[in-house]
Amino acid sequence: MKVKEYYEEHQRALLGLSSFIFLAAAWELLLTYVVPLNPFFFTKPSLIAIAFKEQALGGNLWHNLAISSRAFIWGFSFSVVIGIPLGAVMGWRRRVEYALDPFLTALYASPLVAIAPLLIVVFGVGLLGKAVLVFLLAVFPFIFNTFAGVKSADPLLINVVRSFGGKERDLYLKVILPSTLPYIAAGTRLAIGRGLVGIIVGEFYAASEGIGFAISQAGDTYRLPEMFVGIIVLSLVAVLLTEVMRKLEITLAPWRAGEEIR
Amino acid sequence: MTTCIQAKNVGLTFRPKNREPVTALNDFSLEVGQGEFVSIVGPSGCGKSTFLNILLGLIKPDTGLMQLNGARITGPGQDRAMVFQEFGLLPWRTVLANVELGLELKGVEFSIRRHRATELINMAGLAGFENHYPHELSGGMKQRVGLARALATDPEVLLMDEPFAALDAQTRDLMQAELLQVWDRTKKTVIFVTHSIEEAAYLSDRVVIMSARPGRIKQIIKVQLPRPRDYEMRLSPEFNDLKSRIWDVLKEELIDKK
Repeated sequence: MKVKEYYEEHQRALLGLSSFIFLAAAWELLLTYVVPLNPFFFTKPSLIAIAFKEQALGGNLWHNLAISSRAFIWGFSFSVVIGIPLGAVMGWRRRVEYALDPFLTALYASPLVAIAPLLIVVFGVGLLGKAVLVFLLAVFPFIFNTFAGVKSADPLLINVVRSFGGKERDLYLKVILPSTLPYIAAGTRLAIGRGLVGIIVGEFYAASEGIGFAISQAGDTYRLPEMFVGIIVLSLVAVLLTEVMRKLEITLAPWRAGEEIR
Repeated sequence: MTTCIQAKNVGLTFRPKNREPVTALNDFSLEVGQGEFVSIVGPSGCGKSTFLNILLGLIKPDTGLMQLNGARITGPGQDRAMVFQEFGLLPWRTVLANVELGLELKGVEFSIRRHRATELINMAGLAGFENHYPHELSGGMKQRVGLARALATDPEVLLMDEPFAALDAQTRDLMQAELLQVWDRTKKTVIFVTHSIEEAAYLSDRVVIMSARPGRIKQIIKVQLPRPRDYEMRLSPEFNDLKSRIWDVLKEELIDKK
């Protein structure tokens, strides 16, 4: 009975985990017993695990992770600091919206990854070039989501605060800011994904260190287990950041607990 | 009875871009005494809500004069408070914080406003729900919060814009009875906008019937029914007689414009 209760309580996590285990087991068994393993073109979980252990203990994994993280944190921080105020001003001031919207929409819609080589030429292969790329990719969700959040502020609630004697400052603090928060949170999750793409693309083009460089180098030299170590670390980081965001959202916006946040 | 609200020849025309101007109010004059309960009924778009918004100070009339206790209304003030049809509760605030809103904007000290808000929450029958968010409440409870919030600043005039329209019939009956009790206890001047003839007849001292486009007063009917009123009174012949008198005036408006 104990087991059943435990299962029912953690059903979601257990079932989610089991699909991973099943996939890994199927992969392992397939390449061990069915398909002959050609290490140039295939690899399997057990080899990846060994490579992971080597990389983590003696290799460059932590160093590469630190290098990539630094560029990510710089670019991402700037996209928050610039994107949110810019989106807010666009939402409040119609003229700013009209002036900037076409330009920003064009940039947002075009595949910015295409100008990565240009950015690398201008800003170099080091921290700066990658941070600029992360910034350019991550800033748009902040701009557009903050903008949409400000626009979404309910006119009824604005009138409520005004009717109780609220001044312009009160409208911003008591209505507009809180209605924008969920939008910013959703934008942050988008921005995390785009920022990680920025890092990897930057390091693919030209770099001598970082997770993206490690993946690309391992691929070029047919060291598939090492390549997968990079990919898996990257997805773990993405999942971790997104999970942290979700927790943060629930803490900051408990009134949305009734709605499904995904 | 001393005059509390005085509207003299108030007129307001909305001029939206690229569309025909709409005269919401035309030559609207009304006097409301202190502690009086006045309902306004009329077809949709007759300017009932516009009148409330002018009284509240959110919009200014083009012509005429709107006065409260002899002073012209120039903007929102703590002597008036509105109960909104769609409740207008801030979803990110708990019940307690919502009720405190007016006091907070007035600059009342934290401990005092908390005390006052708790008092009103208890009065509204919301004890135990202080820390709930609006989405966790039923429609009737939400409007109790709306009423408590409006009463928190102890305004002289209570403006109600179809406050019970979004509620189901039983909750509505209950809230009407509660409102009468609150009114009896606090002696506030109430302007109550509604679509329901029954509601207007049951609650009011006078019922103002408006005509549509341009919005002006068609007739004012005085309600002679004794107070306190209870649910049984609604079954009496006098009450039905009153309802049909209001309906007779209103009917022409509804049929004419169709």
